Amino acid sequence: MLNYFYRKLSLLFFITFGVTVFVFSLNYLFPTDVLSNMSGITNINEIDYDVIAQKYNLNDSVFTQYFGFVGRLLDGDWGVSFINGTSIFNQVFRVLPATIELAIYALLYSFIIAIPLGILASSDKHPWLDKSILALSIIGFSMPIFWLALLLILIFSIGLGWFPTSGRLSLIYNIPSSSGFLFLDILRSNIDYKSEALADAFKHLVLPTFVLAAYPTTVLIRTTRQSMKDVMNTSYVKAAKIKGLTSGQLLRRHGLRNGLLPVIQMLGIHFGTVITLAIVTEVIFAWPGIGSWLVDAIHQRDYPAIQGGLLVISGMVFVATILFDLLYMIFDPLARRHGHGKI
Amino acid sequence: MRLLDIRNLNIELITNDSTIKAVESANFSMKMAEVSGLIGESGSGKSLVAKALVGMLNNRWEVTADRLHFMGQDLNRMSESKRRKVISDNISMIYQEPRRCLDPTSNIFSQLEESLPDYEFSGWFGAKKELRLKKCIRLLHKVGIKEHEKVFNSYPHMLSEGICQKIMIAMAIAKEPKLLIADEPTTSLEADTSLKVIKLLKSLNQLKEMGVIFITHNLFSITSWADSINVMYCGQLIESGLTKNIINSPKHPYTKALFDSEPDFNSRDANNKQKLYALKGTIPTLQHLPIGCRLGPRCPNAQRACVKMPEQQKVKGQFFRCHYPLQQKPLNNNWKKA
Ligand SMILES: Nc1ncnc2c1ncn2[C@@H]1O[C@H](COP(=O)(O)OP(=O)(O)OP(=O)(O)O)[C@@H](O)[C@H]1O
Ligand code: SF4
Ligand SMILES: [Mg+2]
Repeated sequence: MLNYFYRKLSLLFFITFGVTVFVFSLNYLFPTDVLSNMSGITNINEIDYDVIAQKYNLNDSVFTQYFGFVGRLLDGDWGVSFINGTSIFNQVFRVLPATIELAIYALLYSFIIAIPLGILASSDKHPWLDKSILALSIIGFSMPIFWLALLLILIFSIGLGWFPTSGRLSLIYNIPSSSGFLFLDILRSNIDYKSEALADAFKHLVLPTFVLAAYPTTVLIRTTRQSMKDVMNTSYVKAAKIKGLTSGQLLRRHGLRNGLLPVIQMLGIHFGTVITLAIVTEVIFAWPGIGSWLVDAIHQRDYPAIQGGLLVISGMVFVATILFDLLYMIFDPLARRHGHGKI
Repeated sequence: MRLLDIRNLNIELITNDSTIKAVESANFSMKMAEVSGLIGESGSGKSLVAKALVGMLNNRWEVTADRLHFMGQDLNRMSESKRRKVISDNISMIYQEPRRCLDPTSNIFSQLEESLPDYEFSGWFGAKKELRLKKCIRLLHKVGIKEHEKVFNSYPHMLSEGICQKIMIAMAIAKEPKLLIADEPTTSLEADTSLKVIKLLKSLNQLKEMGVIFITHNLFSITSWADSINVMYCGQLIESGLTKNIINSPKHPYTKALFDSEPDFNSRDANNKQKLYALKGTIPTLQHLPIGCRLGPRCPNAQRACVKMPEQQKVKGQFFRCHYPLQQKPLNNNWKKA
């Protein structure tokens, strides 16, 4: 167990190192002045220049600059935006919860939809069901997500008017932001139109979640189907069947735990893709998350903001990877093995 | 009533371009509480017969039989779920690959506990749980595992092959089945435990009237207590009959060769170096079976008629497949004593 954590921690260390080196080097690679990139202050005059250069170790070696950079990252001093001069750190962590929320709901949704469908498709008893579920998942897999999003907006928002086209909450609701997670904030606030606000937030969530979930759902359906097929064919499941377990017991006690292992692994692998898709989704639905914020920063050539966004998104991806790894370990005793003797 | 009665059992492997007959027209029957040995070389299809019986083969295999009776019930005419119920209530199996038959992600206790029949141990929930735990501990002690606590909390990958096999045996006898299929149950056990296990199975056979199909290629372990012996070669049951008849007068050259190829430790001149008897050649693969009698190319008595597949014959309750059954008594008579 300790060994495992040690391995994961050293991996985390090297990844962090790589990402910070990359982001740091962006200071030099972006077209504007190095000091401006670092501090976020534009048009620095002669007098201030020396003072600021002193602070950012600009006259020392690159290594000292890098360590200064890491130190400032840890302190939460991520520079200020070119555009509005506010702290990047505050901005990033103000928009991040919206993205996490969207990603979690989408993954949850795809999990809830995909696992039962995958299990149904894996059964030999209904080949037609298998075929139709597979066909559906291939359609979902090959449909470009921006096109799907526009189609859904056209039908459900503009045509039927069931769901709003963009945003996270109607402007008429004024919810004080404490955690940044909307549902939590609404529940914690003491406004007297809570249920209406919740319903409105839910309505805003439906389309983006569905769009973002399309890709992971199709991947999960196929992974679940294959791995359940494999597991139900193993000797140990058949041996358990001969013990007299019912199909339900078989699935609960042996099928799911073994069958879901590859699914968890798949989720971990595809989380990065999901975040990329989340950026696209956010832009289309004007969802105020880190994705649309980063795209705005890119449009406006706000270099310090781009750096901050990159850092946070890559950080989010590898934290999630480690979480999925832990989840995998909880399910699989083989991964937990720590080389003790046999009896 | 017969415990088991199988006529013309065929097991075929369906591949993309052909079907391969792995077991061909096997007839097999057992009385209640009978011990029946199934002997044959590796790859002769012993495990396949056993797996087909309990319905463990996947849909790449096609199993057909003209008659498949178990304790007077026709398994062929039952619905899938009924058959599953009959089999799981009455038959259990000790698998040849114990580790592959244990779920790697759940601990030994839960796997052993689910082998106990549900209806056993009435009482309120806590008491029932307690009783089941006690029963599991007793089972482990029976098969010679003393550290039950440690084993209960282990996962299969933490245990040695031998322990896994013992657990397999404990699971198989947990519900006191009417028929136990033991597929080489003692291969990964040390000699004294192996004797203990056989003793355990013997006592269950006598006390609980449990029929046993004992699959092995070690003749020693079977001749002393099996009531009848069935010999397989290349997917065919080539000879079957009562143990004493088979020992005294094997009709099929292969059966005789099997007996002759065992080193004879009982005879007085065991110290003398003597050549072990062996048939020439090796067992053919299923894809390249000879025409006619399957033993043909290796048989010392083969003659012209052997290019035609011999049909099963019956002489004094002994079944065999050979055009030229042996008449003489075998030279090596020590099997009676074994
Ligand atoms: N899953 C499989 N796919 C293809 N062929 C198989 C499969 N399982 C078994 N066979 C073939 O079927 C034949 C019979 O195999 P089986 O396992 O019944 O032999 P066995 O008599 O139990 O041998 P052993 O003493 O080694 O256990 C063998 O020739 C084997 O190659
Ligand atoms: S039929 Fe012929 S080849 Fe086959 S076992 Fe008998 S004697 Fe040998
Ligand atoms: Mg075998």
